[in-house]
Amino acid sequence: MSTFHGLEMAKQALFAQQSALYTTGHNISNANTEGYTRQRVNFETMPAYPSASRNRPEMPGQFGTGVDIAAVDRLRDKFLDMQYRTENSKAGFWEAKAAALDRLERLMNEPSESGLSQSMKQFWQSLQDLSTNPDNSGAKSVVAQRGQALADAFNYTADSLESIRDDLKAEINHHADKVNSLVRSINRINEQIKQIEPHGYIPNDLYDDRDRMIDELSEIVNIRVDHVKSGDSSPDHADGLVTITLADEHGKPIDGATLVDAEGHIQEIDVDFSTAHGAYEVVTGVRVGEDTFEMSQGSLKGNIEAYGYLQDGQVTGIYTNMLNDLDQMTTAFTEAFNRVYLGEDEGANRVPFFEIGDANRPAATVRVHATIIDAPETIIASQDGYGDLASRLADVFDEELADLDDTSTHKFFESLIGRLGVDAQEANTMKNNTDVLRSQVDEQRMSVSSVSLDEEMTNMIKFQHAYSAAARSMTAIDEMIDRLINNMGLVGR
Amino acid sequence: MRVTQGMLSNNLLHNLSKSYANLDQYLNQVSTGKKINRPSDDPVIAMKGISYRRQVTEVEQFQRNINEVHNWMDNSDAALDKATKALQKLRELAVQASNDTYTGEERENIQKEAQQLKDHLVDIANTKVNDKYVFNGTATDHRPFDDEGNRTSAFNTDDVMIEVAKGTELKVNVTPDDVFSEAFFDRIDEMIDVLGSDDQEAIEASIDQLDANINSTINARADLGARMNRIELIENRLSTQEIVAKETMSNNEDIDYAKAITNLITQESLHRAALAAGARIVQPTLVDFLR
Repeated sequence: MSTFHGLEMAKQALFAQQSALYTTGHNISNANTEGYTRQRVNFETMPAYPSASRNRPEMPGQFGTGVDIAAVDRLRDKFLDMQYRTENSKAGFWEAKAAALDRLERLMNEPSESGLSQSMKQFWQSLQDLSTNPDNSGAKSVVAQRGQALADAFNYTADSLESIRDDLKAEINHHADKVNSLVRSINRINEQIKQIEPHGYIPNDLYDDRDRMIDELSEIVNIRVDHVKSGDSSPDHADGLVTITLADEHGKPIDGATLVDAEGHIQEIDVDFSTAHGAYEVVTGVRVGEDTFEMSQGSLKGNIEAYGYLQDGQVTGIYTNMLNDLDQMTTAFTEAFNRVYLGEDEGANRVPFFEIGDANRPAATVRVHATIIDAPETIIASQDGYGDLASRLADVFDEELADLDDTSTHKFFESLIGRLGVDAQEANTMKNNTDVLRSQVDEQRMSVSSVSLDEEMTNMIKFQHAYSAAARSMTAIDEMIDRLINNMGLVGR
Repeated sequence: MRVTQGMLSNNLLHNLSKSYANLDQYLNQVSTGKKINRPSDDPVIAMKGISYRRQVTEVEQFQRNINEVHNWMDNSDAALDKATKALQKLRELAVQASNDTYTGEERENIQKEAQQLKDHLVDIANTKVNDKYVFNGTATDHRPFDDEGNRTSAFNTDDVMIEVAKGTELKVNVTPDDVFSEAFFDRIDEMIDVLGSDDQEAIEASIDQLDANINSTINARADLGARMNRIELIENRLSTQEIVAKETMSNNEDIDYAKAITNLITQESLHRAALAAGARIVQPTLVDFLR
């Protein structure tokens, strides 16, 4: 045993406790940093003396030689990360869908005294009034104006639906851009990690950055994250590089839909729109590189489902369905209405009551015929009796129409709102459920990884005491050596 | 489980925002008086709500239609009442004239009065209510008789039907033929003619003729009266329906205020408790106790 062994050991202890104090400081500094994972200095004992060897000194027992810093670790559970990201994708999907349905509900504004159904009722009332006063030009003006008000209500609803769809499209593109920018950033961090890890370092703060970005990405698209070793000489407990692949609804990676790979290649995603399917533009697919893939979960898919998309060649989606249903209702109702109004008399001295500007977008372009608006007194209210035509026109609302799947206009609209309510309710429930699940996982994750100030305080005191004790031990050894050198062998002097 | 300050404050925020969402919901309920504000709150209530609202509107509209029916019937009835009175007066005059005691001059005066009464009856036949001729079938914008009591070319005997309940149409006018028949004014003209003569036989015969007019008027009024009774029944039914429809609508979507306010107050207490507890727990750390 060397004379100065104790000094060296105390120095090691000072360094070790000091670095632990610094790490505690780092934790406290980052207590509120988004995505930060608390770090710990892992102490381990130095190899004991003497080691087993042929020329070992003959002495009883092995002596400890002090402390060493094994590593600075991140306290994080990868399994919880995986769970969190799965739940995050689901929550993102339902959040986007619930938000879209919420806007739709606000727009439809039913049940109320001011929605589309109110315009229908008022038009019906004006027709009833006309049927009791068929020669009254005032009653005719009211019919013309209420008819126009109904047409306006259809126009307004359809126009608003389309303008919300414009917003949704912008959001879809924004989401795609965000995915691409995250993918590029993650790849850049991968590159940095690839340069650091082989030197034996564990770049904890880079891992945190990367995990935070992957979390963000998982809200937009459902992804599968795999870890790959960055090099042969990298430490075993290093996180390595990540590869990110789009995942299906079971969390299995989709072949070919790799966004980031370990070689530093990235593929960007792109959303394709097409106006070739029906009257409205829809999303035909999401491309990764050259190929088109089916999305599962994530807010991108939620917004696509709201905007309208192709599924097995059929156009579907919350907003496109609502627009198409309104169009169907407008066409069926105005056709039936005009049929009754014109009777056998078409063209002779009657103009159709309603006309549709663009057959592709009936709800947005329906209006009362200009002749009727200009001269409401030309409205014909009696055909074979006293106000009988007006009365039959009022009955059109209750007539079961083949074009509305054999329901009346009233019932069709009611079931439209009913379906909207059910869809929105489901989306809201699912949003809440997935949100609860996500926050539960997040809670668990925070329980492992987040900084507890009380704990850091306790640690600080612990390390501070250890530091002081190590300094004291150095002083003791110093005194011991002082005694040895200056005060030994002075017997009797 | 390890619990950190971050988790505590996250949970506190999360719970507070949930509590705010509940407060918002109850506040909405109390301030709008409705259980639901949008279909997703309860799709069934929303769907029924639209349908019940329509029922209420329909009932209200049919009540409006019935007002129109009353307008027709009451005015027709009043006109026929006046017609009956005029006819009776005419009859009285004829009976007077048939007396031997009357001189030719006096009969001429009676004839003049009878002529006035006829003009009055023509006016009644041309009664205009609300800009509509009520005794001209569906051709309400044309007068049925000229000043002489002859039918105009626009004379019309069609029924005026008004819808008073879903699918129920009711005849509201008096068919002019039933009262002011082809012979109606002819008989009066004939009577006026014979009043000028001293032919008492003929006058008495014309009285019998006039009785036919009186009878047809009374019959028409009886028929109208029966229909007015029916309208009253329908009206009663509609007002019952209105109450039921409004009550159903109210039961469906209106809140129970006692319940909503209790909920609001309970939620408010919860919210205050959450804030108070949060404020106590989030504040202190170990730092406060270390020297």
